[in-house]
Amino acid sequence: MGEPLLEIKALAKRFAERSGREPSSWVIRDLSFSVQEGEFLTIIGPSGAGKTTLLNMIAQIDAATGGEVRFGSETAPIGDPKALRPGLACRIGYVTQDDHLLPWRTTMQNVLFPLSVQGRLNAETRARAEMLISTVGLSGFEDHYPHELSGGMRKRAALIRTLVYDPPVILMDEPFGALDAQTRTQLQADLLRLWNLGRKTIIFVTHDIGEAIALGDRTLVLSRPPSRMAGEHAITIPRPRDVRDIMTHPEFAALYQRIRAQVQ
Amino acid sequence: MSAQGGTIDAHGDTAPLSGRRAVVLGRLALAALLLIAWKLGTGLAGPLYVADPILVVQRIVADTLSGELIRNTLVTLRLSAIGFALGCAFGIAVPFGLRRLPRLTAAVEPYIMASVGVPKYALVPLFILWFGIDDAPKLWLVGLLVFYVVFIAVFAGIRSVPRGLIDMARVAGAGEARIAREVIWNALLPFFFAALKIALPRAVSAAIIGEFLVGNAGLGYMIESSRENFDTTGVFAGIVAATALVLAINGVLALIDRRVNRWRPVEREMVI
Repeated sequence: MGEPLLEIKALAKRFAERSGREPSSWVIRDLSFSVQEGEFLTIIGPSGAGKTTLLNMIAQIDAATGGEVRFGSETAPIGDPKALRPGLACRIGYVTQDDHLLPWRTTMQNVLFPLSVQGRLNAETRARAEMLISTVGLSGFEDHYPHELSGGMRKRAALIRTLVYDPPVILMDEPFGALDAQTRTQLQADLLRLWNLGRKTIIFVTHDIGEAIALGDRTLVLSRPPSRMAGEHAITIPRPRDVRDIMTHPEFAALYQRIRAQVQ
Repeated sequence: MSAQGGTIDAHGDTAPLSGRRAVVLGRLALAALLLIAWKLGTGLAGPLYVADPILVVQRIVADTLSGELIRNTLVTLRLSAIGFALGCAFGIAVPFGLRRLPRLTAAVEPYIMASVGVPKYALVPLFILWFGIDDAPKLWLVGLLVFYVVFIAVFAGIRSVPRGLIDMARVAGAGEARIAREVIWNALLPFFFAALKIALPRAVSAAIIGEFLVGNAGLGYMIESSRENFDTTGVFAGIVAATALVLAINGVLALIDRRVNRWRPVEREMVI
Protein backbone atom coordinates (compact mmCIF):
# COMPACT_ATOMS: atom_id res chain seq x y z
CA MET A 1 0.00 0.00 0.00
CA GLY A 2 1.31 3.40 -0.97
CA GLU A 3 0.33 6.86 0.14
CA PRO A 4 -3.41 6.88 0.98
CA LEU A 5 -5.65 8.79 -1.43
CA LEU A 6 -7.68 10.37 1.34
CA GLU A 7 -6.53 11.03 4.85
CA ILE A 8 -8.55 12.26 7.81
CA LYS A 9 -6.53 13.34 10.84
CA ALA A 10 -7.85 14.32 14.26
CA LEU A 11 -11.00 15.64 12.59
CA ALA A 12 -13.32 17.67 14.80
CA LYS A 13 -16.65 19.35 14.11
CA ARG A 14 -19.11 21.38 16.08
CA PHE A 15 -21.81 23.53 14.57
CA ALA A 16 -21.83 27.29 14.95
CA GLU A 17 -23.58 28.60 18.01
CA ARG A 18 -26.84 30.42 17.67
CA SER A 19 -28.16 33.02 20.04
CA GLY A 20 -30.55 31.70 22.63
CA ARG A 21 -29.18 28.18 22.39
CA GLU A 22 -26.79 26.10 24.39
CA PRO A 23 -23.37 26.08 22.75
CA SER A 24 -23.46 23.06 20.46
CA SER A 25 -21.48 20.05 21.55
CA TRP A 26 -18.89 18.24 19.44
CA VAL A 27 -20.42 16.08 16.72
CA ILE A 28 -17.08 14.57 15.73
CA ARG A 29 -13.91 14.70 17.74
CA ASP A 30 -10.48 13.28 17.13
CA LEU A 31 -11.49 11.05 14.22
CA SER A 32 -8.68 9.68 12.07
CA PHE A 33 -8.63 7.22 9.19
CA SER A 34 -7.33 6.90 5.69
CA VAL A 35 -8.65 5.48 2.44
CA GLN A 36 -6.56 3.78 -0.23
CA GLU A 37 -7.15 4.30 -3.91
CA GLY A 38 -9.68 1.82 -5.31
CA GLU A 39 -10.88 0.83 -1.85
CA PHE A 40 -14.56 0.30 -0.99
CA LEU A 41 -14.80 1.61 2.55
CA THR A 42 -18.04 1.30 4.49
CA ILE A 43 -18.68 3.40 7.57
CA ILE A 44 -21.27 2.41 10.11
CA GLY A 45 -22.46 4.16 13.22
CA PRO A 46 -25.54 4.92 15.28
CA SER A 47 -27.84 7.69 14.05
CA GLY A 48 -26.62 11.10 15.08
CA ALA A 49 -23.01 9.92 14.91
CA GLY A 50 -22.19 12.62 12.38
CA LYS A 51 -21.86 10.29 9.40
CA THR A 52 -23.48 12.76 6.99
CA THR A 53 -21.46 15.60 8.52
CA LEU A 54 -18.28 13.59 7.92
CA LEU A 55 -19.13 13.08 4.24
CA ASN A 56 -20.11 16.75 3.87
CA MET A 57 -16.68 17.72 5.16
CA ILE A 58 -14.91 15.33 2.77
CA ALA A 59 -17.03 16.65 -0.12
CA GLN A 60 -16.18 20.18 1.07
CA ILE A 61 -19.74 21.41 1.37
CA ASP A 62 -19.19 21.86 5.10
CA ALA A 63 -16.05 23.04 6.88
CA ALA A 64 -14.38 21.12 9.68
CA THR A 65 -13.78 22.87 13.01
CA GLY A 66 -10.39 21.27 13.53
CA GLY A 67 -8.07 18.57 12.30
CA GLU A 68 -7.16 17.81 8.73
CA VAL A 69 -8.88 16.48 5.62
CA ARG A 70 -6.32 15.73 2.94
CA PHE A 71 -7.16 14.54 -0.56
CA GLY A 72 -4.08 13.74 -2.62
CA SER A 73 -1.82 16.68 -1.97
CA GLU A 74 -4.61 19.14 -1.13
CA THR A 75 -6.02 19.88 2.30
CA ALA A 76 -9.49 21.22 2.91
CA PRO A 77 -9.79 24.64 4.62
CA ILE A 78 -10.63 24.41 8.30
CA GLY A 79 -13.32 26.61 9.84
CA ASP A 80 -13.80 28.75 6.72
CA PRO A 81 -16.87 27.76 4.70
CA LYS A 82 -16.16 30.42 2.05
CA ALA A 83 -12.83 28.82 1.09
CA LEU A 84 -14.41 25.41 0.49
CA ARG A 85 -14.14 23.84 -2.93
CA PRO A 86 -17.23 21.60 -3.19
CA GLY A 87 -16.46 18.34 -4.97
CA LEU A 88 -12.84 19.52 -5.27
CA ALA A 89 -12.87 20.13 -9.03
CA CYS A 90 -15.23 17.24 -9.81
CA ARG A 91 -12.89 14.63 -8.33
CA ILE A 92 -15.17 13.79 -5.40
CA GLY A 93 -18.66 12.63 -6.34
CA TYR A 94 -21.40 12.59 -3.71
CA VAL A 95 -24.56 10.50 -3.71
CA THR A 96 -26.60 12.04 -0.92
CA GLN A 97 -29.30 10.50 1.22
CA ASP A 98 -32.01 12.41 -0.64
CA ASP A 99 -31.65 11.95 -4.36
CA HIS A 100 -31.65 15.72 -5.10
CA LEU A 101 -32.75 15.15 -8.67
CA LEU A 102 -33.73 18.42 -10.35
CA PRO A 103 -37.53 18.13 -10.60
CA TRP A 104 -37.72 20.08 -13.86
CA ARG A 105 -35.26 17.81 -15.63
CA THR A 106 -36.10 14.40 -17.05
CA THR A 107 -34.12 11.31 -16.04
CA MET A 108 -31.75 11.70 -18.99
CA GLN A 109 -31.38 15.45 -18.44
CA ASN A 110 -30.62 14.83 -14.76
CA VAL A 111 -27.98 12.25 -15.58
CA LEU A 112 -26.43 14.64 -18.09
CA PHE A 113 -26.50 17.59 -15.65
CA PRO A 114 -22.91 17.22 -14.33
CA LEU A 115 -21.53 16.72 -17.84
CA SER A 116 -23.42 19.74 -19.05
CA VAL A 117 -22.17 22.06 -16.28
CA GLN A 118 -18.64 20.73 -16.72
CA GLY A 119 -18.84 21.43 -20.46
CA ARG A 120 -18.20 17.79 -21.26
CA LEU A 121 -21.33 16.95 -23.24
CA ASN A 122 -20.36 15.11 -26.39
CA ALA A 123 -21.26 11.96 -28.29
CA GLU A 124 -18.94 9.84 -26.17
CA THR A 125 -20.23 11.01 -22.77
CA ARG A 126 -23.84 10.80 -24.01
CA ALA A 127 -23.23 7.20 -25.02
CA ARG A 128 -21.82 6.54 -21.56
CA ALA A 129 -24.95 8.05 -19.97
CA GLU A 130 -27.15 5.82 -22.13
CA MET A 131 -25.06 2.79 -21.22
CA LEU A 132 -25.40 3.54 -17.51
CA ILE A 133 -29.14 4.14 -17.83
CA SER A 134 -29.64 0.74 -19.41
CA THR A 135 -27.23 -0.93 -16.93
CA VAL A 136 -29.39 0.12 -13.99
CA GLY A 137 -32.64 -0.68 -15.78
CA LEU A 138 -33.90 2.83 -16.42
CA SER A 139 -34.31 2.33 -20.18
CA GLY A 140 -37.70 3.59 -21.25
CA PHE A 141 -37.76 6.15 -18.42
CA GLU A 142 -35.29 8.61 -19.96
CA ASP A 143 -38.01 11.20 -20.58
CA HIS A 144 -39.81 10.80 -17.26
CA TYR A 145 -39.65 13.52 -14.65
CA PRO A 146 -38.45 12.54 -11.15
CA HIS A 147 -41.96 12.63 -9.68
CA GLU A 148 -42.98 10.02 -12.24
CA LEU A 149 -40.31 7.57 -11.01
CA SER A 150 -40.43 5.16 -8.09
CA GLY A 151 -38.14 5.65 -5.09
CA GLY A 152 -35.75 2.96 -6.32
CA MET A 153 -35.59 4.45 -9.80
CA ARG A 154 -34.82 7.87 -8.38
CA LYS A 155 -31.94 6.38 -6.37
CA ARG A 156 -30.61 4.70 -9.49
CA ALA A 157 -30.82 7.93 -11.44
CA ALA A 158 -28.99 9.82 -8.66
CA LEU A 159 -26.33 7.10 -8.53
CA ILE A 160 -25.54 7.13 -12.23
CA ARG A 161 -25.67 10.94 -12.30
CA THR A 162 -22.52 10.74 -10.18
CA LEU A 163 -20.99 7.77 -12.01
CA VAL A 164 -21.47 9.39 -15.41
CA TYR A 165 -18.67 11.93 -14.95
CA ASP A 166 -16.35 9.34 -13.50
CA PRO A 167 -15.02 11.03 -10.34
CA PRO A 168 -12.14 8.99 -8.81
CA VAL A 169 -13.77 9.14 -5.35
CA ILE A 170 -17.47 8.65 -4.66
CA LEU A 171 -19.12 9.35 -1.32
CA MET A 172 -22.42 7.65 -0.62
CA ASP A 173 -24.67 8.57 2.27
CA GLU A 174 -27.12 5.77 3.03
CA PRO A 175 -28.21 5.91 -0.59
CA PHE A 176 -30.49 2.90 -0.23
CA GLY A 177 -31.75 3.70 3.26
CA ALA A 178 -35.39 4.44 2.55
CA LEU A 179 -36.05 1.54 0.20
CA ASP A 180 -37.78 -1.81 0.67
CA ALA A 181 -35.56 -4.86 1.19
CA GLN A 182 -36.08 -6.21 -2.32
CA THR A 183 -35.15 -2.98 -4.14
CA ARG A 184 -32.31 -2.42 -1.74
CA THR A 185 -30.68 -5.78 -2.47
CA GLN A 186 -31.11 -5.19 -6.19
CA LEU A 187 -29.44 -1.79 -5.96
CA GLN A 188 -26.60 -3.15 -3.85
CA ALA A 189 -25.99 -5.77 -6.55
CA ASP A 190 -26.15 -3.04 -9.23
CA LEU A 191 -23.66 -0.95 -7.30
CA LEU A 192 -21.18 -3.82 -6.91
CA ARG A 193 -21.47 -4.59 -10.60
CA LEU A 194 -20.85 -0.96 -11.54
CA TRP A 195 -17.97 -0.77 -9.08
CA ASN A 196 -16.40 -3.82 -10.72
CA LEU A 197 -16.50 -2.08 -14.10
CA GLY A 198 -13.92 0.44 -12.92
CA ARG A 199 -12.83 0.24 -9.32
CA LYS A 200 -13.49 3.66 -7.88
CA THR A 201 -12.67 4.67 -4.36
CA ILE A 202 -15.96 4.57 -2.52
CA ILE A 203 -16.83 5.74 0.97
CA PHE A 204 -20.23 4.33 1.78
CA VAL A 205 -22.05 5.34 4.93
CA THR A 206 -24.83 3.15 6.28
CA HIS A 207 -26.51 2.15 9.51
CA ASP A 208 -27.13 -1.39 8.27
CA ILE A 209 -24.40 -3.80 9.40
CA GLY A 210 -25.31 -6.38 6.74
CA GLU A 211 -24.98 -3.79 4.01
CA ALA A 212 -21.62 -2.60 5.37
CA ILE A 213 -20.27 -6.16 5.25
CA ALA A 214 -21.81 -7.06 1.90
CA LEU A 215 -20.34 -4.09 0.06
CA GLY A 216 -17.08 -3.11 1.73
CA ASP A 217 -13.43 -4.07 1.66
CA ARG A 218 -13.17 -2.57 5.11
CA THR A 219 -15.72 -1.31 7.63
CA LEU A 220 -15.19 1.50 10.11
CA VAL A 221 -17.43 1.73 13.15
CA LEU A 222 -18.13 5.17 14.61
CA SER A 223 -19.08 5.73 18.23
CA ARG A 224 -21.92 7.81 19.57
CA PRO A 225 -21.18 11.55 19.40
CA PRO A 226 -18.71 13.02 19.85
CA SER A 227 -17.83 10.48 17.18
CA ARG A 228 -14.52 8.80 17.03
CA MET A 229 -13.38 5.45 15.75
CA ALA A 230 -14.93 2.55 17.68
CA GLY A 231 -13.55 -0.22 15.50
CA GLU A 232 -12.13 -1.23 12.16
CA HIS A 233 -12.78 -4.51 10.34
CA ALA A 234 -11.28 -5.93 7.17
CA ILE A 235 -14.00 -7.73 5.22
CA THR A 236 -12.23 -10.74 3.80
CA ILE A 237 -15.23 -12.28 2.05
CA PRO A 238 -13.91 -12.81 -1.49
CA ARG A 239 -15.29 -10.96 -4.52
CA PRO A 240 -17.29 -11.18 -6.66
CA ARG A 241 -19.92 -11.38 -3.95
CA ASP A 242 -23.57 -12.21 -4.28
CA VAL A 243 -25.35 -9.75 -1.98
CA ARG A 244 -28.44 -11.98 -1.90
CA ASP A 245 -26.54 -14.87 -0.36
CA ILE A 246 -23.93 -12.97 1.60
CA MET A 247 -25.55 -13.93 4.92
CA THR A 248 -24.84 -17.60 4.28
CA HIS A 249 -21.11 -17.00 3.93
CA PRO A 250 -19.24 -18.61 6.85
CA GLU A 251 -17.39 -15.39 7.75
CA PHE A 252 -20.52 -13.24 7.76
CA ALA A 253 -21.93 -14.22 11.15
CA ALA A 254 -18.67 -13.67 13.03
CA LEU A 255 -18.09 -10.28 11.37
CA TYR A 256 -21.67 -9.28 12.02
CA GLN A 257 -21.36 -10.09 15.71
CA ARG A 258 -18.05 -8.30 16.14
CA ILE A 259 -19.37 -5.15 14.47
CA ARG A 260 -22.69 -5.37 16.27
CA ALA A 261 -20.88 -5.39 19.60
CA GLN A 262 -19.24 -2.07 18.72
CA VAL A 263 -22.29 -0.27 17.32
CA GLN A 264 -24.14 1.21 20.27
CA MET B 1 -70.02 31.15 -9.63
CA SER B 2 -68.13 28.25 -8.14
CA ALA B 3 -71.08 27.30 -5.95
CA GLN B 4 -73.32 27.21 -8.98
CA GLY B 5 -70.78 25.17 -10.96
CA GLY B 6 -70.40 22.79 -8.01
CA THR B 7 -74.11 22.02 -7.82
CA ILE B 8 -74.30 21.30 -11.49
CA ASP B 9 -71.18 19.19 -11.25
CA ALA B 10 -72.64 17.16 -8.41
CA HIS B 11 -75.72 16.33 -10.45
CA GLY B 12 -73.67 15.72 -13.58
CA ASP B 13 -73.54 11.96 -12.98
CA THR B 14 -77.28 11.48 -13.05
CA ALA B 15 -77.97 13.95 -15.86
CA PRO B 16 -78.11 12.52 -19.38
CA LEU B 17 -75.54 15.09 -20.49
CA SER B 18 -71.87 14.48 -19.87
CA GLY B 19 -70.47 16.32 -16.83
CA ARG B 20 -68.45 18.70 -18.94
CA ARG B 21 -71.39 19.74 -21.08
CA ALA B 22 -73.50 20.27 -17.99
CA VAL B 23 -70.84 22.63 -16.61
CA VAL B 24 -70.68 24.57 -19.88
CA LEU B 25 -74.48 24.84 -20.02
CA GLY B 26 -74.50 25.94 -16.39
CA ARG B 27 -71.99 28.65 -17.13
CA LEU B 28 -74.01 29.90 -20.10
CA ALA B 29 -77.16 29.94 -17.99
CA LEU B 30 -75.35 31.90 -15.33
CA ALA B 31 -74.12 34.40 -17.93
CA ALA B 32 -77.70 34.83 -19.16
CA LEU B 33 -78.87 35.39 -15.58
CA LEU B 34 -76.22 38.02 -15.02
CA LEU B 35 -77.20 39.82 -18.22
CA ILE B 36 -80.85 39.77 -17.19
CA ALA B 37 -79.91 41.12 -13.76
CA TRP B 38 -77.87 43.86 -15.46
CA LYS B 39 -80.82 44.76 -17.68
CA LEU B 40 -83.15 44.85 -14.66
CA GLY B 41 -80.58 47.01 -12.87
CA THR B 42 -80.69 49.48 -15.77
CA GLY B 43 -84.46 49.68 -15.41
CA LEU B 44 -84.27 50.23 -11.65
CA ALA B 45 -81.36 52.67 -11.43
CA GLY B 46 -81.81 54.47 -14.73
CA PRO B 47 -79.43 54.58 -17.71
CA LEU B 48 -77.36 57.40 -16.20
CA TYR B 49 -76.13 55.04 -13.45
CA VAL B 50 -76.27 51.61 -15.10
CA ALA B 51 -75.90 51.57 -18.88
CA ASP B 52 -78.18 49.36 -20.94
CA PRO B 53 -76.27 46.15 -21.83
CA ILE B 54 -77.58 46.16 -25.39
CA LEU B 55 -76.38 49.73 -25.91
CA VAL B 56 -73.02 48.78 -24.38
CA VAL B 57 -72.64 45.91 -26.85
CA GLN B 58 -73.64 48.22 -29.72
CA ARG B 59 -71.13 50.82 -28.53
CA ILE B 60 -68.35 48.21 -28.31
CA VAL B 61 -69.13 47.03 -31.83
CA ALA B 62 -69.26 50.58 -33.19
CA ASP B 63 -66.05 51.67 -31.44
CA THR B 64 -64.30 48.51 -32.57
CA LEU B 65 -65.34 49.12 -36.17
CA SER B 66 -64.20 52.75 -36.01
CA GLY B 67 -60.84 51.58 -34.60
CA GLU B 68 -61.24 53.85 -31.56
CA LEU B 69 -61.55 51.02 -29.04
CA ILE B 70 -58.63 49.08 -30.46
CA ARG B 71 -56.46 52.19 -30.51
CA ASN B 72 -57.25 52.95 -26.86
CA THR B 73 -56.76 49.32 -25.85
CA LEU B 74 -53.37 49.24 -27.55
CA VAL B 75 -52.32 52.43 -25.76
CA THR B 76 -53.19 50.86 -22.40
CA LEU B 77 -51.60 47.54 -23.39
CA ARG B 78 -48.38 49.25 -24.44
CA LEU B 79 -48.20 51.25 -21.22
CA SER B 80 -48.90 48.17 -19.07
CA ALA B 81 -46.41 46.06 -21.02
CA ILE B 82 -43.50 48.51 -20.78
CA GLY B 83 -44.19 49.24 -17.10
CA PHE B 84 -44.56 45.54 -16.44
CA ALA B 85 -41.31 44.67 -18.22
CA LEU B 86 -39.41 47.31 -16.25
CA GLY B 87 -40.92 46.32 -12.89
CA CYS B 88 -40.36 42.67 -13.65
CA ALA B 89 -36.75 43.12 -14.71
CA PHE B 90 -35.86 44.96 -11.51
CA GLY B 91 -38.04 42.62 -9.43
CA ILE B 92 -35.90 39.71 -10.63
CA ALA B 93 -32.52 41.45 -10.81
CA VAL B 94 -32.54 42.97 -7.31
CA PRO B 95 -33.11 39.72 -5.35
CA PHE B 96 -30.61 37.84 -7.53
CA GLY B 97 -28.08 40.60 -6.87
CA LEU B 98 -28.78 40.55 -3.13
CA ARG B 99 -28.42 36.75 -3.01
CA ARG B 100 -24.64 36.99 -3.09
CA LEU B 101 -24.53 39.82 -0.54
CA PRO B 102 -26.06 38.49 2.68
CA ARG B 103 -24.81 41.38 4.81
CA LEU B 104 -26.18 44.04 2.46
CA THR B 105 -29.44 42.07 2.31
CA ALA B 106 -29.71 42.04 6.10
CA ALA B 107 -29.07 45.80 6.14
CA VAL B 108 -31.57 46.85 3.46
CA GLU B 109 -34.28 44.23 4.04
CA PRO B 110 -36.26 46.18 6.68
CA TYR B 111 -36.21 49.27 4.46
CA ILE B 112 -37.43 47.36 1.43
CA MET B 113 -40.16 45.69 3.47
CA ALA B 114 -41.23 49.02 4.95
CA SER B 115 -41.39 50.57 1.47
CA VAL B 116 -43.81 47.80 0.46
CA GLY B 117 -46.28 49.50 2.78
CA VAL B 118 -46.22 52.85 0.94
CA PRO B 119 -49.49 53.13 -1.01
CA LYS B 120 -48.11 53.47 -4.54
CA TYR B 121 -51.17 55.31 -5.86
CA ALA B 122 -50.53 58.02 -3.29
CA LEU B 123 -47.24 58.71 -5.04
CA VAL B 124 -48.85 59.61 -8.37
CA PRO B 125 -48.97 63.37 -7.66
CA LEU B 126 -45.25 63.23 -6.86
CA PHE B 127 -44.55 61.29 -10.04
CA ILE B 128 -46.42 63.94 -12.02
CA LEU B 129 -44.42 66.64 -10.26
CA TRP B 130 -41.13 64.86 -10.91
CA PHE B 131 -41.63 63.23 -14.30
CA GLY B 132 -44.16 65.46 -16.08
CA ILE B 133 -47.40 64.45 -17.73
CA ASP B 134 -46.22 62.13 -20.48
CA ASP B 135 -45.89 58.36 -20.07
CA ALA B 136 -43.20 58.63 -17.39
CA PRO B 137 -45.40 59.02 -14.26
CA LYS B 138 -47.71 56.24 -15.45
CA LEU B 139 -44.76 53.95 -16.14
CA TRP B 140 -43.41 54.62 -12.66
CA LEU B 141 -46.75 53.69 -11.13
CA VAL B 142 -47.15 50.48 -13.15
CA GLY B 143 -43.49 49.57 -12.75
CA LEU B 144 -43.46 50.05 -8.97
CA LEU B 145 -46.63 48.00 -8.43
CA VAL B 146 -45.23 45.15 -10.53
CA PHE B 147 -41.78 45.45 -8.99
CA TYR B 148 -42.94 44.84 -5.43
CA VAL B 149 -45.06 41.81 -6.27
CA VAL B 150 -42.29 40.21 -8.34
CA PHE B 151 -39.55 41.22 -5.92
CA ILE B 152 -41.23 39.65 -2.90
CA ALA B 153 -42.01 36.42 -4.76
CA VAL B 154 -38.51 36.06 -6.21
CA PHE B 155 -36.89 37.01 -2.90
CA ALA B 156 -38.93 34.37 -1.06
CA GLY B 157 -38.42 31.91 -3.92
CA ILE B 158 -34.64 32.19 -3.75
CA ARG B 159 -34.70 31.48 -0.03
CA SER B 160 -36.94 28.47 -0.52
CA VAL B 161 -34.60 26.66 -2.92
CA PRO B 162 -33.56 23.43 -1.18
CA ARG B 163 -29.99 23.77 0.06
CA GLY B 164 -29.29 20.19 -1.04
CA LEU B 165 -30.01 20.97 -4.69
CA ILE B 166 -27.48 23.80 -4.65
CA ASP B 167 -24.85 21.67 -2.89
CA MET B 168 -25.45 18.87 -5.39
CA ALA B 169 -24.94 21.28 -8.29
CA ARG B 170 -21.76 22.69 -6.72
CA VAL B 171 -20.29 19.23 -6.14
CA ALA B 172 -21.15 18.34 -9.74
CA GLY B 173 -19.04 21.28 -10.87
CA ALA B 174 -21.58 24.04 -11.51
CA GLY B 175 -20.35 27.62 -11.08
CA GLU B 176 -22.38 30.33 -9.34
CA ALA B 177 -23.81 31.75 -12.58
CA ARG B 178 -24.91 28.32 -13.70
CA ILE B 179 -26.49 27.61 -10.31
CA ALA B 180 -28.43 30.87 -10.45
CA ARG B 181 -29.64 30.23 -13.98
CA GLU B 182 -30.40 26.54 -13.75
CA VAL B 183 -31.15 25.60 -10.16
CA ILE B 184 -32.44 28.75 -8.50
CA TRP B 185 -34.31 30.17 -11.47
CA ASN B 186 -36.14 26.91 -12.21
CA ALA B 187 -36.89 26.25 -8.56
CA LEU B 188 -38.50 29.65 -8.14
CA LEU B 189 -40.50 29.63 -11.39
CA PRO B 190 -43.70 28.49 -9.62
CA PHE B 191 -43.30 31.45 -7.22
CA PHE B 192 -42.63 33.74 -10.16
CA PHE B 193 -45.74 32.65 -12.05
CA ALA B 194 -47.86 33.01 -8.94
CA ALA B 195 -46.55 36.57 -8.73
CA LEU B 196 -47.30 37.21 -12.40
CA LYS B 197 -50.91 36.15 -11.89
CA ILE B 198 -51.21 39.03 -9.43
CA ALA B 199 -48.87 41.49 -11.12
CA LEU B 200 -50.27 41.40 -14.67
CA PRO B 201 -53.86 42.42 -13.83
CA ARG B 202 -52.41 45.02 -11.46
CA ALA B 203 -50.26 46.42 -14.22
CA VAL B 204 -53.34 46.98 -16.38
CA SER B 205 -55.31 48.47 -13.46
CA ALA B 206 -52.45 50.82 -12.64
CA ALA B 207 -52.15 51.87 -16.28
CA ILE B 208 -55.88 52.64 -16.37
CA ILE B 209 -55.74 54.65 -13.17
CA GLY B 210 -52.74 56.51 -14.54
CA GLU B 211 -54.76 57.32 -17.63
CA PHE B 212 -57.63 58.66 -15.50
CA LEU B 213 -55.23 61.25 -14.18
CA VAL B 214 -52.81 62.05 -16.99
CA GLY B 215 -52.90 61.99 -20.77
CA ASN B 216 -55.45 61.89 -23.55
CA ALA B 217 -55.55 58.28 -24.76
CA GLY B 218 -56.05 54.77 -23.46
CA LEU B 219 -58.91 52.87 -21.85
CA GLY B 220 -58.61 54.85 -18.63
CA TYR B 221 -58.88 58.12 -20.52
CA MET B 222 -61.81 56.73 -22.51
CA ILE B 223 -63.69 55.72 -19.35
CA GLU B 224 -62.98 58.97 -17.54
CA SER B 225 -63.83 61.25 -20.47
CA SER B 226 -67.07 59.31 -21.04
CA ARG B 227 -68.00 59.88 -17.41
CA GLU B 228 -67.28 63.60 -17.73
CA ASN B 229 -69.72 63.69 -20.67
CA PHE B 230 -72.39 61.75 -18.71
CA ASP B 231 -71.90 58.95 -21.26
CA THR B 232 -72.40 55.97 -18.93
CA THR B 233 -72.60 53.61 -21.90
CA GLY B 234 -69.04 54.65 -22.81
CA VAL B 235 -67.91 54.04 -19.21
CA PHE B 236 -69.34 50.51 -19.29
CA ALA B 237 -67.89 49.83 -22.74
CA GLY B 238 -64.46 50.85 -21.43
CA ILE B 239 -64.81 48.60 -18.38
CA VAL B 240 -65.80 45.65 -20.56
CA ALA B 241 -62.84 46.28 -22.88
CA ALA B 242 -60.45 46.56 -19.91
CA THR B 243 -61.79 43.31 -18.46
CA ALA B 244 -61.38 41.59 -21.82
CA LEU B 245 -57.80 42.86 -22.00
CA VAL B 246 -56.95 41.45 -18.57
CA LEU B 247 -58.61 38.12 -19.36
CA ALA B 248 -56.68 37.88 -22.65
CA ILE B 249 -53.39 38.58 -20.84
CA ASN B 250 -54.25 35.97 -18.19
CA GLY B 251 -55.00 33.46 -20.92
CA VAL B 252 -51.59 33.99 -22.54
CA LEU B 253 -49.94 33.76 -19.13
CA ALA B 254 -51.70 30.47 -18.33
CA LEU B 255 -50.47 29.04 -21.64
CA ILE B 256 -46.87 30.04 -20.92
CA ASP B 257 -47.16 28.77 -17.35
CA ARG B 258 -48.40 25.38 -18.52
CA ARG B 259 -45.54 25.12 -20.99
CA VAL B 260 -42.75 26.28 -18.73
CA ASN B 261 -43.92 24.46 -15.60
CA ARG B 262 -45.11 21.27 -17.24
CA TRP B 263 -42.70 19.26 -15.06
CA ARG B 264 -44.71 20.13 -12.00
CA PRO B 265 -46.49 17.15 -10.50
CA VAL B 266 -49.60 19.11 -9.55
CA GLU B 267 -51.95 19.64 -12.47
CA ARG B 268 -54.79 21.21 -10.54
CA GLU B 269 -54.55 24.94 -10.23
CA MET B 270 -56.79 27.91 -9.96
CA VAL B 271 -57.99 29.15 -13.34
CA ILE B 272 -58.93 32.78 -13.49
